[in-house]
Amino acid sequence: MTAGLAAATVAAADLSGRGGPGFLSPTGAEVAFVLIGLVVLGSALLVVTTSQIVHAALWLVVTLGGLAAEYLLLTAEFIAWVQVLIYIGAVVVLLLFGLMLTRAPIGRSTELDSLKRWPAVLVAVGATATLLTVVVDAFHSAYLDLGKTDDGSARVTGESLFRVWVLPFEVLSVLLLAALIGAIVLSRGRADADGKGR
Amino acid sequence: MNPANYLYLAALLFTVGAAGVLLRRNAIVVFMCVELMLNATNLAFVTFARMHGNYDGQVIAFFTMVVAAAEVVVGLSIIIAIFRSRRTASVDDANLMKW
Amino acid sequence: MSSGLQLAADAADKVPAPSIEYGKLSPMLIVFGIAVAGVLVEAFVPRKARYVTHLVVALGGMAAAFGAVLALIPGVKDSGGEIAAVGAVAVDGPTLFLQGTLLLLGIVSVLLMAERKLEPGGDAFAPQAAAAPGSAQEKEAAAAGLRQTEVYPLAMFALGGMLLFPAANDLLTLFVALEVMSLPLYLLCGLARRRRLLSQEAALKYFLLGAFSSAFFLFGVALLYGYSGSVRLDRIAVATGGAMDNDALLLIGLAMVAVGLLFKVGAVPFHSWTPDVYQGAPTPITGFMASATKVAAFGALLRFFYVALPGMKWDWRPMMTGVAIVTMVVGAVIAITQTDVKRMLAYSSIAHAGFILTGMIAANEAGASSTLFYLVAYGFVTLGAFAVVTLVRDAGGEATHLSRWAGLGRRSPLVAGVFAVFLLAFAGIPLTSGFSGKFAVFQAAADGGAGSLVIVGVLCSAIAAFFYVRVIVLMFFSEPRADGPTVVVPSVMTTAAIALGVTVTVVLGIVPQPVLDLADKAALFVH
Repeated sequence: MTAGLAAATVAAADLSGRGGPGFLSPTGAEVAFVLIGLVVLGSALLVVTTSQIVHAALWLVVTLGGLAAEYLLLTAEFIAWVQVLIYIGAVVVLLLFGLMLTRAPIGRSTELDSLKRWPAVLVAVGATATLLTVVVDAFHSAYLDLGKTDDGSARVTGESLFRVWVLPFEVLSVLLLAALIGAIVLSRGRADADGKGR
Repeated sequence: MNPANYLYLAALLFTVGAAGVLLRRNAIVVFMCVELMLNATNLAFVTFARMHGNYDGQVIAFFTMVVAAAEVVVGLSIIIAIFRSRRTASVDDANLMKW
Repeated sequence: MSSGLQLAADAADKVPAPSIEYGKLSPMLIVFGIAVAGVLVEAFVPRKARYVTHLVVALGGMAAAFGAVLALIPGVKDSGGEIAAVGAVAVDGPTLFLQGTLLLLGIVSVLLMAERKLEPGGDAFAPQAAAAPGSAQEKEAAAAGLRQTEVYPLAMFALGGMLLFPAANDLLTLFVALEVMSLPLYLLCGLARRRRLLSQEAALKYFLLGAFSSAFFLFGVALLYGYSGSVRLDRIAVATGGAMDNDALLLIGLAMVAVGLLFKVGAVPFHSWTPDVYQGAPTPITGFMASATKVAAFGALLRFFYVALPGMKWDWRPMMTGVAIVTMVVGAVIAITQTDVKRMLAYSSIAHAGFILTGMIAANEAGASSTLFYLVAYGFVTLGAFAVVTLVRDAGGEATHLSRWAGLGRRSPLVAGVFAVFLLAFAGIPLTSGFSGKFAVFQAAADGGAGSLVIVGVLCSAIAAFFYVRVIVLMFFSEPRADGPTVVVPSVMTTAAIALGVTVTVVLGIVPQPVLDLADKAALFVH
């Protein structure tokens, strides 16, 4: 409950603190941002606080999906779809598999929270305060026009990727290969454990 | 609209994730919280990309996602290996070691 | 007709190919190449021949990459360094110096990993990583003489990431290199043959904290990108040189990126993983991590602070000074209380991270060159020390408890003597490389106006010297225990690794000047 309240307060702050154009008549994109933002934040809080592990994974899906929608609002179309494909399609599925394989209890489990609760909350509050101050300090007068251009398309992103960021991109493929090999090493039991060789 | 709103969301999400990492005991849930942090980062990147009008930020967000996928693969294989040895995935039970 | 038009349109649509300077990138490309070749070896070479093939591929490849580094030196000497791969990589003096160092350390590490005479029935790695420790499956695998030969390609992937790490000229490449370096290491940590549970927990801890810290790193990158509109180090430098607004954004971004890098270095307060991971990981991997990761990460720290934030010197120096002081003090003081050799070496590596930071904080050319020199000296000493740890064994594997080392000097004076040389180098006693290194960094720091840091450094060296000497006394002046550990005679590979460590330690202690000169010449970053 308190989580929801806090989120609502933040949203209110968002609405009232917004200066410049659009103050009087929020556009559709702005309304959508606030609503989706609330969903994202609320489900993130649930990921962190729920006492049912499987629910945490499912709330994570909501958070990630909401973020994909926010990317669309920011006209980052390609990133939005990659978010859906990689995060929701691959990462969450893998996490759910992980939960299944480690026989995570379905239902409430009381042992999810560590005893270091207050230090954690303190760190979080401190970090939030710092980051928010930074943002307020830096961007109180910036303005973003969301209504135009298509500069988040796959085409534009791809061109940037292959013209400017080729080397990191190729190294990224090496990273994937390394992760793949590593995962195989750790998890594959050999069928030919009798040493006959292959 | 003011891009700061997106950055507020990113900052809040990041700290929620960070608090979760410190708070939770199940290794997989801790890992989910790290994913929240990475997502917050991505949101910040995409917002900054939009503000600066160049695509670097979007490309970096893409990179982050792929790296996160690779991290999940490695992390889960470690977690499952340890589960097979010990039958639990709680971080606090990893107490053969002194913290 | 229409198809012709279509073709023309396609041609116009094509993205022009970027120009990649393959020659300048060749050291990394060769290492990544041998990593991929290692995967192919794993897939197609019959099991009996794999070990030898892996060794030939890895050692030959690293030697070739080292040759490539040497071949690049004249060009860099003439031009002062260049930016390659559309701005992603800087090939300059520090890059080549560190890449050369990393390749040599990599060769020594692979020699240690390949050692098969110490452990009855295999090497330092689990016969089958997928089998639960103590299970029937594992015993079967051990009896069948299985070996986990995938460690070689994984180590090569990590090494490739390390080569890219100090060379990365933008923060995105830096991040990708960080992950390429870390992910294989997380896995390798969990593969110890003995005490698997400890080893797996080390891997889990390293992984979770590593992922946590790289999230911080990434958010820092985001803030710096937000501040400057670019992730290129030189453009960040331009942006920070100008306006003074948004400073909070810049400072927090800087701090968060530094957190990610300091975690890899093992500086306090981001050190909590170091002792556990160093203790749990297979000892050859510990040596590899302790030496090569630190070299790569300090290279990246140097480049980040010297290239991207030279104008911010007065802002980051106080912060890093604090970190350096705490690191030295905590490392040296807690090391005294340790009873396990590997944990003691871990805390000593933390203390050394503080000493190296001292050189970095000088923020001048002498600072860079002394840091480079210290990294060479430290890397070989560390690898050598961990190599010695693999030799002292009893029925349960390596006898790492310090009390077991009592009287080792009487039982096998050679090994104990070699270890004493390494400990003296750690302590910074004259005529060892540790002394030359410490002298260089403290001098640079004093010249750079960080006098207080030098005083703390000298005091911490004295505290550290106490526990190093204590171990030497324990080895030489106490009675050997009847059931004490034995020193196993290793194959030529570990012997070569230790011999190289001793040689570098002594030579850099007696005639450090050639390498100091080399580091001096290599200390110029390209912007």
